[in-house]
Amino acid sequence: MKAVLDIEANATINRKTRKNNFIQAIKRDYLLYLLLLLPMAYMIIFKYAPIYGILMAFQDYNIFQGISGSEWVGLDVFKFIFEQNSFYRALTNTLVLNFLDLIAGFPAPIILAILLYEIQFKRFKKITQTVLYLPHFLSWIIIGGIVYLLFSSNGMANTVLNELGLGRIEFLSDKTNWLIMYVFVGIWQNAGWGTILYLAAITGINRELYEAADIDGSSRLRKIWHITLPGIKPTIIILLILQVGRMLSIGFDRPYVMGNSLVIENSDVISTFVYRVGIGSGDFSQATAVGLFQSVVGLVFLVTANYIAKKIGEQGIW
Amino acid sequence: MKIKKMLVVLSAITLLTSSLAACGSNNAKESQPTSSPTSTSTSTPAKEEKPSGPLVTLTVEIFDRGIQGQPDMNNNTWTRYINDNFGKQNNAIVKFVPVPRSQEVDKLNVLMAAGEAPDISFTYDVNTVHRYAKMNGIMQLDDLLAEHGKDLKNYLGEKVLSYGKYNGSQVAIPAKRTSLAWSGTFIRKDWLDKLGLPLPTTRDELYNTLVAFRDKNPGGVDGVIPWGLATTGMNYNTGNLPESFWEEQPEKEFVTAESWGWLRPGNKEALKFLNKLYNEKLISPDFALDKTAQQVDADVTNGKVGFFSANWDYPLRQKISEPLKANVPEANYIPIDTFTNYEGKHKKIAYNENGINVIIPKSSKNAELAIKYLDWMSSPEVLSFLQYGEEGVNHNIVNGIPQVINQTGDNMQTSYMNLDYTLVVNGVELGDPEKNIKALAASAPGLEEVAEQSYKINTTDTYTLYYFDTPNESKIKFGKTLEDMNKQMTDKLISCKPSEFDNLYDKMVTEFMAAGGKAVMDENVKIYEAMQANK
Repeated sequence: MKAVLDIEANATINRKTRKNNFIQAIKRDYLLYLLLLLPMAYMIIFKYAPIYGILMAFQDYNIFQGISGSEWVGLDVFKFIFEQNSFYRALTNTLVLNFLDLIAGFPAPIILAILLYEIQFKRFKKITQTVLYLPHFLSWIIIGGIVYLLFSSNGMANTVLNELGLGRIEFLSDKTNWLIMYVFVGIWQNAGWGTILYLAAITGINRELYEAADIDGSSRLRKIWHITLPGIKPTIIILLILQVGRMLSIGFDRPYVMGNSLVIENSDVISTFVYRVGIGSGDFSQATAVGLFQSVVGLVFLVTANYIAKKIGEQGIW
Repeated sequence: MKIKKMLVVLSAITLLTSSLAACGSNNAKESQPTSSPTSTSTSTPAKEEKPSGPLVTLTVEIFDRGIQGQPDMNNNTWTRYINDNFGKQNNAIVKFVPVPRSQEVDKLNVLMAAGEAPDISFTYDVNTVHRYAKMNGIMQLDDLLAEHGKDLKNYLGEKVLSYGKYNGSQVAIPAKRTSLAWSGTFIRKDWLDKLGLPLPTTRDELYNTLVAFRDKNPGGVDGVIPWGLATTGMNYNTGNLPESFWEEQPEKEFVTAESWGWLRPGNKEALKFLNKLYNEKLISPDFALDKTAQQVDADVTNGKVGFFSANWDYPLRQKISEPLKANVPEANYIPIDTFTNYEGKHKKIAYNENGINVIIPKSSKNAELAIKYLDWMSSPEVLSFLQYGEEGVNHNIVNGIPQVINQTGDNMQTSYMNLDYTLVVNGVELGDPEKNIKALAASAPGLEEVAEQSYKINTTDTYTLYYFDTPNESKIKFGKTLEDMNKQMTDKLISCKPSEFDNLYDKMVTEFMAAGGKAVMDENVKIYEAMQANK
């Protein structure tokens, strides 16, 4: 009996201290929590609140009546989408373009980061870094214009090729060439920016490891292979998981600006499809349904990638 | 809560600023409430005359065409005229809501969905009107028109109004179109003369002429382009070349096939012909990448293009005529009528008599005022001012025909004949068709003859798109997708390899039909048959 009472007393004390701890924690760090408020508000207003819009996917959405006034149609919208050939085309293209980006675009910043790290001359390193970051801040509209000027059949690249007697190459209107250009321009824009995380990770590697390697007389490549790469492996894995999770979501501007009617079979992706049916034809139900489908599949990808990463002994993202 | 407060503050600011603008002080821009105290005190007398209730704000859509040097869309000669002559009398402020021209429907969809569409909204796309009407989102205007729109009704007439009906009730008010020519074809006369060639009168002659342009390069330019083209849907087009290949079709089949030619006998040959031209380097090499027509505009104005097809007045437009004159003074584009069909006619498409469709969203609280606005606008003197402005400033009268003086800044018209502001009419309106054409030609100083000729050519042997009085459900559903496909198919077929052409044509037409083309045509047939039965 006493024991029971003791336990109960303990429990109340525990609860009390826990409550006190909680209040104390808030009191102690209230400024930090205050700082947290803004991002929280952002997440709630822009990420959570709009979720109720998913209801549109199950309605014959009437833009004038709103969600409360529209008719429920169950899965009809999904049925309609899955009957359309253009949807499958958009789906395949999204996967193909993202997959190519993954293969070619993912290693690029890693290699670049290692190269940058190996540069001894500080000033040159800083300048190179800045120059590499710059394209990230250009809008795709501008990049699209540059690409057109450089690579159209009367563009600079073709003029040079032609003058050299090599003949013109259809960079932008041939399907295969277009895919290469798409990936290449993507790397050009993002590789530099992508190095930031890796550089930070490399800086976190214990310097003593390098010194030990120096004493053992290992070459530079050896050091990269046995110290740098294993050192940033967790970062690589996490970024890889995230990228795989985004396999089905694709930005709108890059394929839209780079694409043209001759390569539409490769450049029409989910985001441009959603734009066309959703905003263009005013069919918000279809656009929402596609968006929902995209998120669900994306989640499946993410969970699977995470699961595999854990299985092979790496740290997952949760 | 905060949002509510913000809204109150915002609306208060809007009210304050817009009421200032309505006082007609020329220097108080709407967006500058700082200059308010002085202008309110000076213009209060005008207010005191009208103590009848609070001011109403009538919102009206306006296209923002992004033209260089354009004035503030809400504060220029035209908006001030409107506010002084309509706004004040009706205790209202007319406020214009800019919508980018190229995103007409996209932006309107968003505004409608948000319940923020202007009281007077409009679109050229009848499909969109039908879609809104079907969703019950726009007003039925029969009663309002009968009560407040007598002048408007008289001006437009039954025929024009009939284009704005949905299942028998008036849901849109179409503008009256006074010039019906659509597209035209143009050739460099100075090049022909240099080569000693006559005006081409058939397709084959045109082909030979284009080859001569390519091989002999009469302009001596770097990279001659015999036929200038941009991606389909951007002003530039293939003219009535397809029509010249089309064989005879019974009326029912002809009209129910929509504007697409895919199933028409002869259409395949038309595209094959274009494909041949492209592969022989007679057409702009990168036309399909020219998504804004900027490249081909530059080529035309730099004197590199020998032949092109675009809107019937394209070479008369300031953006072409002026740089061309500066760059290549001897360049002389003249309209021609080359594409002859099996009956020896130059069949080509022309507009129906309707223009833009004005609609009033259900969310609007000022429907009555909106109709009054259009009614006011349909009076001759108002139209005359909005189209021609003040004599001596915006135009001179020569032989009874007003001659436009091009303006910049405040007096500038951002659209042809101010058609974005004059929502009841599209084209010159002097109350007399003969006069209208003369005035039309006069709008291109120095090129009057070309204009008159082009208009004449492009209004002969014309057909118009058939008007179905019942909305086509399939078209509402698939219309936009089909429209996009239609453009892509044309671009692709013109530029593919000749050996791939036949297969590609058949494959893409099958896909097009499966993607809704067939459904739309079948429904057209049904509607057509019902209409014939009711006759």
